Amino acid sequence: MSQRYFEDIANDDELEPLERLPTEDKAVEFFGRDNPTNPAFGDAEAGRRMGFGGALVPGLLKLSWITNYVGAWAGPEASLRSVRVAFRRPDIAGKPLVLAGRVVDKRQEDGANVVELEVVTLADDQPTVRGNVQVEIPSRP
Amino acid sequence: MADVTESKITDQHRAMIGQKSDPIEVVPRTEDAQRMRDLLDDGDPRWADGTGIAPPYILAMMEPRLPAELSPQVLSSGILTQTEWKFSQPIKLEEPLQAVTQLIDVRDRLGGRYGYSVLVMFQTAYLNSDGEEAAASLRTITQFDRPES
Repeated sequence: MSQRYFEDIANDDELEPLERLPTEDKAVEFFGRDNPTNPAFGDAEAGRRMGFGGALVPGLLKLSWITNYVGAWAGPEASLRSVRVAFRRPDIAGKPLVLAGRVVDKRQEDGANVVELEVVTLADDQPTVRGNVQVEIPSRP
Repeated sequence: MADVTESKITDQHRAMIGQKSDPIEVVPRTEDAQRMRDLLDDGDPRWADGTGIAPPYILAMMEPRLPAELSPQVLSSGILTQTEWKFSQPIKLEEPLQAVTQLIDVRDRLGGRYGYSVLVMFQTAYLNSDGEEAAASLRTITQFDRPES
């Protein structure tokens, strides 16, 4: 994991896309096997009964992937300020998701270097989650 | 689907805005952090074993259920459509936090792809033992009426 510095970042910089495969097992394991959660996360039949094409991928798992994706891009000395996402359409377990992102703003705010990114998850090239992430990134030493 | 041109939000619903839940103690557990890190393949040294720090997505395990007494039921069904997490300081493993949830807004959404819907917004503040906010989450539930089948 390498460190990114504020001076080296420009608007429209793109993050390397990252593929993740959500599975029913991952959905259940994410919340812990002993924790009750939405049955549609771990059971394709329950998802179909609710009108979806199979088991649903939990929104909080996708939010966590996005958080982790930007954190890894920013580096270990960066600090996450906020992540905001809108769930646009359901994702079905077993279909790969691609995370992609780009820098939309960089500014100094109260002495901190703030970088803002737009991030999406894509299934079949269609956005399923859209998000904005703000992260504080250090200056080059 | 019939067009709705008037709000279904009543004064009674609006009166709930600003109300807060009693504090609920939540604890960022080490075993949850380990399990989630492994699942996400997260090798970030900031919250590696021995640091005592939880990864930010530990909030997914800590979010309390939305209290029924703070949840105006304007329409019959609802789904989570937006979430925001804000971080003011690192979250320490095994350090109890007090979670206080507040209804912050109820708003009409006239028109749109699914017709009339209502946005119900909640904020949960996570306070440390000094009463400082360590993190907060904002959740938006979109309420809608299921079409009759």
